[in-house]
Amino acid sequence: MTDTAPASYAVKESPRGSGPIVWASIIATTCLLLFFFQKILWLVVPFLLALILYYLLYPSMQALIYRGMSREAAASVVTLGFLVLLSVVGVMLSPWVTSHIAGWQDAVIGYVQGGLQLLDRSLRTLEAHWGPLARAHLADTVAGRLTQGAGSVADHLEPIAVGIMAWAPSLMLAPFLAFFFLRDGRRFQRFLGGAVPNAFFEKTLYLLHEIDRTSRAYFQGLIKLTVLDTLTLAAGLWLLGIPGPFALGLICAVLAWVPYVGSILGGLLVVLVAATDFPDAPTVAYWAIALFVVVRLLDDFVYMPLTIGKSLELHPLVTVLMIFVGGAVAGISGLMLVLPVLGVVMVIGETIGVIVTDPRLMARHRHARALRREQASSDL
Amino acid sequence: MVNLFRPRRTTPRLERLRNLSLFVNLTPTELEIVDGLLHERDYQAGEVIFDEGEEGQAIYIIAAGEVLICRQGQSDAGRVAQLDVGTFFGELALLDNAPRSAQARAATGCQLIVFFRDDFVGLLDTHARIASKISRELARHLGARMRDMALASGVHQHL
Repeated sequence: MTDTAPASYAVKESPRGSGPIVWASIIATTCLLLFFFQKILWLVVPFLLALILYYLLYPSMQALIYRGMSREAAASVVTLGFLVLLSVVGVMLSPWVTSHIAGWQDAVIGYVQGGLQLLDRSLRTLEAHWGPLARAHLADTVAGRLTQGAGSVADHLEPIAVGIMAWAPSLMLAPFLAFFFLRDGRRFQRFLGGAVPNAFFEKTLYLLHEIDRTSRAYFQGLIKLTVLDTLTLAAGLWLLGIPGPFALGLICAVLAWVPYVGSILGGLLVVLVAATDFPDAPTVAYWAIALFVVVRLLDDFVYMPLTIGKSLELHPLVTVLMIFVGGAVAGISGLMLVLPVLGVVMVIGETIGVIVTDPRLMARHRHARALRREQASSDL
Repeated sequence: MVNLFRPRRTTPRLERLRNLSLFVNLTPTELEIVDGLLHERDYQAGEVIFDEGEEGQAIYIIAAGEVLICRQGQSDAGRVAQLDVGTFFGELALLDNAPRSAQARAATGCQLIVFFRDDFVGLLDTHARIASKISRELARHLGARMRDMALASGVHQHL
């Protein structure tokens, strides 16, 4: 077969970037999905955790299959291995947890009181410098409101503990979902491909691979983002002399998986630690706040567009805007889910846009249907 | 004790795959891995499989029936080849995403096995040994085709 110039009726590859109608549909679909997902968060969160687990365990399963194990056995072995590892870690940590759990409530109360003392000291310093604030008795007013509105720390710990207990069963779904993703993922992909007409088959295969690539890139981007956040925070906290900088950095980086809110919680945590461990040096806590503002800016405008945004091939501006849109539509869950949902919807939307606007593919599909009708009625 | 890593027993489906020239050197275990990546499609006689100029995403292997390779829209005058069971076409799609050089159309009702380029690229990363065996068969096939073309055009060179 010799090469010839492409014929004019042949399928042209889509140019990078779709038209405004496709993009409007992508954004609208993303918002609708986020709104819907917010309602079934008990299923969406374990599903996301299962996806992360799937991408973590997939290489091990592939290695076992290559050594001669069946897909079913390999999926079972790696999932069981993960559960055993989790159990071993749990058993090893349990003596330490049991011995420290009694002191945790006191520690939490201590850290919160340290934070409140810092706030009180800061407000009184402000009052000393600005007369209007002193005349308004700002420090006393805030302290009164906090005591009145917040109640005791123990009152808040109980609902948090109950919330964790309530989420535990649905979180336990994650390894089971991951097992079925590992075992049946390929079968599901073939099942989906089999339901598509021949004319669109190659494009659909391409779509499924792109979704897989996008999801993989997103979760790899998330891991890179966590590493970058941990290192930056740990370096900053170490320079400030705050104890356990790496552990604190890691906790804050994981909390940052929830955009904005997670970072605020992380920042609050470090400020409380700094205020309690350095009661006589409030400047350490102020520096910790400054560090978090810097890391927040780096995270939103440099790290996230570079890691997750880049992995999804999204423009940094679109990434940032969509994070705001996700938050407005579905709150904290929207902030968390907006980028992976957008990534998948974007691939599906662009591919459907290519298929339905390709007259040749549509003509081939009509021709194939006519042939099938003809064959079905040939002996009638 | 159950031996999870025992050599795999071959099945009729794997035997059928092994009879295809592209997979002739694969072991049962390797065939099973490749089998997980393949798709099957049924085409009516006269149905277009792909068009000339279309970007190739996959290689097609004929499991049943016959396929006509021809110039776009010229099934009679532009006939290039008629392929039957066990042969494959669209193989350049595994190597790059260049446009298809001819149209493929089902000459009879046929069943095709489809091997997608991204799966082959993934295989190069995860199972290089399998990918190299397939690549060798592909290279052998392309070499034979080049020799045929050279003979047909009267060029007597060592190809």
